[in-house]
Amino acid sequence: MLRMRGVDTELVRRAKHGDREAFGLVAADLATRFLAVSRRILRDIDLAEDATQQALVAIWRDLPHLRDPARFDAWSYRLLVRACYAEGRRARQWSPNLRILPADEPSESRGLDAIIHRDQLETAFRRLSVDHRTVLVLHHYADIPAERIAQILDVPIGTVHSRLHHAMRAMRAALDADARPAAAEATR
Amino acid sequence: MTTERDPGTRIVLSWLREETHENAERVLLRVLDEVDTTPQRRSWWPAWRTSPMNTYAKLIAAAAAVLVVAAVGYQFLPRSGGIGGPPTIAPSPSPTLLAAGTFRAQGFEVVLDAAGGASGVTGSMIVTDRSRNFTVDLECTRTTDAGLIWIGGDVTESANWSDAPKGSRAAIVFKRGTPVQAVFVFQMAEPRSASCQAFFDDMIAIGGEPVGALVPIIGTVELGP
Repeated sequence: MLRMRGVDTELVRRAKHGDREAFGLVAADLATRFLAVSRRILRDIDLAEDATQQALVAIWRDLPHLRDPARFDAWSYRLLVRACYAEGRRARQWSPNLRILPADEPSESRGLDAIIHRDQLETAFRRLSVDHRTVLVLHHYADIPAERIAQILDVPIGTVHSRLHHAMRAMRAALDADARPAAAEATR
Repeated sequence: MTTERDPGTRIVLSWLREETHENAERVLLRVLDEVDTTPQRRSWWPAWRTSPMNTYAKLIAAAAAVLVVAAVGYQFLPRSGGIGGPPTIAPSPSPTLLAAGTFRAQGFEVVLDAAGGASGVTGSMIVTDRSRNFTVDLECTRTTDAGLIWIGGDVTESANWSDAPKGSRAAIVFKRGTPVQAVFVFQMAEPRSASCQAFFDDMIAIGGEPVGALVPIIGTVELGP
């Protein structure tokens, strides 16, 4: 699991004032995290790289507008989520057949059940809207609390809880063939 | 409510949290390349709130305007002199009026008194908003191709005004008309421009002329020729 940790505020302040070297350090700190999060949301490494690049360049470009460097983390995640939405829309428009995210070797047993689960979960996740995927990944993978996700997405916290609930229900339902209608619900 | 004790939830969470090994080096190099040729966006006229004047304030402003007119008129009344008329005083060279008045711009009270021209400006601008204020020691002016009159200088006093700290540069930009329009310009990014005129150059280079940010002033400002 990825944990959200703060970027050095002094580096952010320097980058905000046009220091490219400081921004390079900030970007190096964020790039791996952003790539991991966007890859999980978009399920495609090329799209994830594009989204990460788009977000980091947007951070550089718009950093002078950020008044409080202490709010950098939430602000930068917001730009990443926007980039993921943009890439998600582009993917739907131009490339309906996304490649399957190649799985690394799982650490636990690789029984037939596990493989079936992975396929079912992969399929169910792809059926989710980007809104639902985003809250699942930010909360359960990036370990960001719901209150913070509400700030990042600029939605009420109730909406975050609701999306989390429906997305999890859809994912769990995917493990049970009899519960397919619930999976479809969260994709609306 | 889902809990991690639920086997289905546990499987989903385990799948979501599976480690993969992303190599961000390629994307980082692309970003740094792009950043080399990408300028930062610097907004240098903040999105001010505008606080419309209430009726009571308008009445006070109107009364103040009447008093000013009366006081000015009084100065021009013929005075009675002794034999041979009033003593003649040799006129001393007075600086040319550039802009003067007490008005509201972008919701803030402004007291402006600027004299001079392209060769140099003297005077000050005091901007007040409730518990904050700043004062600019005016140094230079410029009338641009767009017809805007820039008057700027150094911020010498500042209280609780984060956009205009002491030692920074600030300006007010006017557009003639009825009503006159104005906008404040601050150098919000370091480094500080080398001179007052360089400050105008830098601001115009970064954001162009602030035509779209101009708002009508409330009150009166007298602009020089």
